[in-house]
Amino acid sequence: MSLLATTSLLVARVLPASEEVPFDDKGYHTEHWLFAPTWETIIASTASIIVFGLLYKFASPTVKQSFKDRTEGIQKELDDSAAAKSVAETEATRIREAKGDIDAERGRLYAEADAQAEALLTDGRARLDDEMADLEARSDADIDAAADRSADELRAEIARYSSKAVERIAYDTLDNTTQQELIESFISRVGASS
Amino acid sequence: MSDARIEGYARALFEVARAEGTLDEVEDELFRFARSYESSDALRNALTDEHVPAEKRQAIVEDLLGGKATPTTIQLVSMVVGSGRSRELPAIVDSLVQRASSAKQLDVAEVRTAVALTADQQARLKAALENSTGKSLNLKAIVDPTVLGGVVATIGDTVIDDTVRTRIDQLQSRL
Repeated sequence: MSLLATTSLLVARVLPASEEVPFDDKGYHTEHWLFAPTWETIIASTASIIVFGLLYKFASPTVKQSFKDRTEGIQKELDDSAAAKSVAETEATRIREAKGDIDAERGRLYAEADAQAEALLTDGRARLDDEMADLEARSDADIDAAADRSADELRAEIARYSSKAVERIAYDTLDNTTQQELIESFISRVGASS
Repeated sequence: MSDARIEGYARALFEVARAEGTLDEVEDELFRFARSYESSDALRNALTDEHVPAEKRQAIVEDLLGGKATPTTIQLVSMVVGSGRSRELPAIVDSLVQRASSAKQLDVAEVRTAVALTADQQARLKAALENSTGKSLNLKAIVDPTVLGGVVATIGDTVIDDTVRTRIDQLQSRL
């Protein structure tokens, strides 16, 4: 029995039967202002039972199968979700590990770069020190050489000018008397050297 | 110029001078001209310039020596210059002097002074050099202002140098 028919019967028993009241101005009447007549209730209830029975008999397996399929689908989706979650967690773990590896690698690279930079810096400083020392040594040598050269050139210039001065003085002072004295001196010296 | 060619010219000049009987004079004049040629850039350039015709160069020689040297000397120098051997003139003359000295059993003594030597000085210097070297010498006196003062004598490979120039050079070397 359908819920609607049962409810109608209970209400009919509880509520007193009403007097016939006119339905409209054309003279149609009803037994109760709210409930249908009993036979209509019976027929409707029966029809409802039949319909619900047929529905239960024929539609129930389909509905059950539908619910079952739906449940299975949901379960499958849950399983898939769980699997996906597991995969995602695995992936997350892997990513975290990879991130950790990356962090470690980055740290290692940073450390290696720092070490290389330090080594380069140390090497560069050492090389610069060597080059500076070499440059200083070469500069000292160049300065010494330039000083020696300048001194040599100065000595040569002094010698040249001194020679010129002596030559000039000699030329100015070598008058005929002196020339004759030099010649006589030569003759005397050669003659005495036999 | 090869030594043989120089010797050939020297022998020719020697024979001409000896044939003319003016060997001593020609030898002396040629020697002095050769020294002048060596010390004068202008003379050397004039006599060796191939763009100047040979006749012109010979005329320069005749102008320079005319009245100052014997005709034989002038003709011999003119002959050497005209034959285009001006560059070898000093070597030819030196060879001639050597040849003439050898003919007289003498060694050549080349003496350079800043001022000219008197005949007396030449005689005394020759005697002093002969006394010093033990050789009979044919003295050739050259006035060379570059020696500044004093005397330098060259006898073969022997050089007796007492010039102011050499002393200045030695002083410069020491400096």
